[in-house]
Amino acid sequence: MTKGYLCLVLHGHLPFVRHPEHENFLEEDWLYEAITETYVPLISVFEGLVSDGIDFRITMTLSPTLISMLSDSLLQERYLRHINKLIELSQKEIERTKWQESFRPLAEMYFNKFSQARNTFQKYNNNLVYAFKKFQDLGKLEIITCGATHGFFPLMDVCRESVRAQVKVAADHYESVFGRRPAGIWLPECGFCPGHDEILREAGIRFFFTDSHGLLHGTPRPKYGVFAPVYCKGTGVAAFGRDLESSKQVWSSIEGYPGDYNYREFYRDIGFDLEFDYIKPYIHPDGVRINTGIKYYRITGTGNHKEPYVAEWARERAAEHAGNFMFNRQKQAGYLNDLMGKPPIIVSPYDAELFGHWWYEGPMWLDFLFRKVACDQKEIRMITPSEYLAENPRNQVITPSFSSWGYKGYSEMWLQGTNDWIYRHLHAASGRMTELVHSYPGAQGLLRRALNQALRELLLAQSSDWAFILGTGTHTSYAVRRTKDHLLRFNRIYEDIKSNSINEKWLADIEYKDNLFPNIDYQVHQ
Amino acid sequence: MKILTKIKERLKKVVPAKLKSLKAKKKKPALKNPASSVSKDIPSFQETIAVNTKFSHPEDMRPKSSTPQELPSSYDQDKIILQVRDVRWLHTYWELRNQTIEALKNKLGDEFRRAKKILRVYDVTNIIFNGNNANSFFDIQYNDFANSWYIDTSVPGRSWCVDLGLMLTDGRFITILRSNVVSTPLDGPSWITDEEWMIPEDIFARLYGMGFGLGKSSPVGGAWQQRLKQGLFSSGITSSPVRKEVKERKFWMKVDCELIVYGATEPDAKVTVQGEPINLRPDGTFTLRYYLPDSKQIIPVKATSADKLEERTITPIVTRETR
Repeated sequence: MTKGYLCLVLHGHLPFVRHPEHENFLEEDWLYEAITETYVPLISVFEGLVSDGIDFRITMTLSPTLISMLSDSLLQERYLRHINKLIELSQKEIERTKWQESFRPLAEMYFNKFSQARNTFQKYNNNLVYAFKKFQDLGKLEIITCGATHGFFPLMDVCRESVRAQVKVAADHYESVFGRRPAGIWLPECGFCPGHDEILREAGIRFFFTDSHGLLHGTPRPKYGVFAPVYCKGTGVAAFGRDLESSKQVWSSIEGYPGDYNYREFYRDIGFDLEFDYIKPYIHPDGVRINTGIKYYRITGTGNHKEPYVAEWARERAAEHAGNFMFNRQKQAGYLNDLMGKPPIIVSPYDAELFGHWWYEGPMWLDFLFRKVACDQKEIRMITPSEYLAENPRNQVITPSFSSWGYKGYSEMWLQGTNDWIYRHLHAASGRMTELVHSYPGAQGLLRRALNQALRELLLAQSSDWAFILGTGTHTSYAVRRTKDHLLRFNRIYEDIKSNSINEKWLADIEYKDNLFPNIDYQVHQ
Repeated sequence: MKILTKIKERLKKVVPAKLKSLKAKKKKPALKNPASSVSKDIPSFQETIAVNTKFSHPEDMRPKSSTPQELPSSYDQDKIILQVRDVRWLHTYWELRNQTIEALKNKLGDEFRRAKKILRVYDVTNIIFNGNNANSFFDIQYNDFANSWYIDTSVPGRSWCVDLGLMLTDGRFITILRSNVVSTPLDGPSWITDEEWMIPEDIFARLYGMGFGLGKSSPVGGAWQQRLKQGLFSSGITSSPVRKEVKERKFWMKVDCELIVYGATEPDAKVTVQGEPINLRPDGTFTLRYYLPDSKQIIPVKATSADKLEERTITPIVTRETR
């Protein structure tokens, strides 16, 4: 007897980082690391479940920028170069650690892991989007979309044309990749402003997610709290609220699973630990030491002394933690069912990159969880939002509250002393884009190319990732550069169009650099 | 490219100026203060060099483009924008055209200089604001150089509008710009319940606390504050959500040893080290690198000729002892 539903959501997103003008570019490693440590391990988990006949459900965002990078041939080639070097390094490590009993099996583990990453990557024709699509087509995975470049919508509220462009470009891009319209969207940073549901409805999107207070502080009161979705008043778009109890178990820096002393220590990487000449070919060509992904220690304790990682112990802990998570969801569902008189839905969203990249054992934990939920019990059932809405079409109508899942729950992460300067420029560019759309309807040829590129540059400048990095206050130079570069490119296109002097050669160059959304139509920005 | 051209132009300008001053010196050796004309030239020349070095620095990998490197300081518009930061704080930024300021100066004369620069913040909750019907308002005096401001409204769940204006000495307020209207969210559950979906207060309280992961018996009041303390906010790939690195700010040192074993034989020979076959380079040389723990390592290196008729074994013995 099903007492409640569990809706796991992994939000997969990386900002668009692609620099064909440089042979090596440090920030491109975000993608390569996420492929090796998160996306491939997740795909391997899904493959294993399907081949073992285990039924499972999971919901994932693949942000349009992430899809664009995973599908890009230049980045695919560079990923192969990257993983080949890692395989080479892990081979050297197997030899180097020959007299270190506790490290040698780990060097072998990395060799196997990297080799498997390359195999999986090549099996899907170097494009992992096909892998995710396969599990969506099998009905196990529901892929939702996101803002085109992960712009933070609440701080675009004064230019809703840009919110509309973020949503429409994303939905159209999704359709071109997956062959159907997206049913749901992950609002970037969970940032919701009342009224934006109208823009979602226009794009045919049926549901989105908010942080807990988005529903709990909505008007009128949500009868079931966050444990049932609501429909937005006036538009009927469904909003699912985040459950914080399940979040806390995985995410909390104090009590969360990833801090277990048997799990792998993220901050001890051979890129920093080993002798310079040996490691030099595998770090940045300038000699700047970086993480390689090969890490030999377990968290061990709170101090700086670290003991070697023992894969078997970590595996046992992951199984225990999966069991603990399931047990707590059973208790939670049972209690809520009594209180509500119907099965609750427990929505547990996480950044996808938490699994594997930050929490090395995360994908393994998920694997155990899926298997236990499918085989060991009947009280909770995994479900996707679309399935839930199909089975439970009658829901309360409210207006959810403005909210985000960022620091302190609203806009502060992206609007503080270190990053508030960007908005006068972003808003001015939005205004200019709207002006261009009105001045040049139905443009063709070179003018159309310029207008489309103007929208690409505007969208890229809007990525919340830049404001986020500026907000954290460390390693900000790249984020400053990206914000300015895209705005400067936008402004130049705007001036060139207005003065009827588009420079085709220059335009072609930035089309080549910022090449995402090939089928974009500038006219969506209105 | 534009930058380089600019620098070239500046160099051109500087050089004739220097020539000019030299010429001047030649013509008029009794110039009253020749040092001053030289000292004027030198800084500008150094400055040019500094600019030149900055943009041709090898570490600056960015490609040169003909787009400017810095964003414009203004967009030639009169505009004030209001945004919500959280339940009680607003952010506003504005821009005024020079001609707008000049027009005000002309109109107000001396009064302009004496007037206070004011942001008037109107509570426009549940009304259609016409400039005179606000529920209430308060004023913030801002300084001459500000073009943005964070405003503490103190109360959540209200609607706000801001006028940028001047307070004249006689107490009159002149509006220069009016912002958009924004609404701040509630910082607790709504008091509005709907009849069809009504729920008893005690059950809602339990659901409310549970939604924030606070267990079954947390009171409604304070639950949101408690939730804020928990953290659990998103952070993405660029910074760790899980646990930050512990940095011990103490003096420290690390020493470790690795061992390199290398050699050469016929390129087609078979070589084993401690019994395990190894690969030779095309010229028959080989290099092996090992982490060397505290121990005694006996390392027999055995080469066998391709025809298996000859064999050589050399055995280095290495002891590491750390004290």
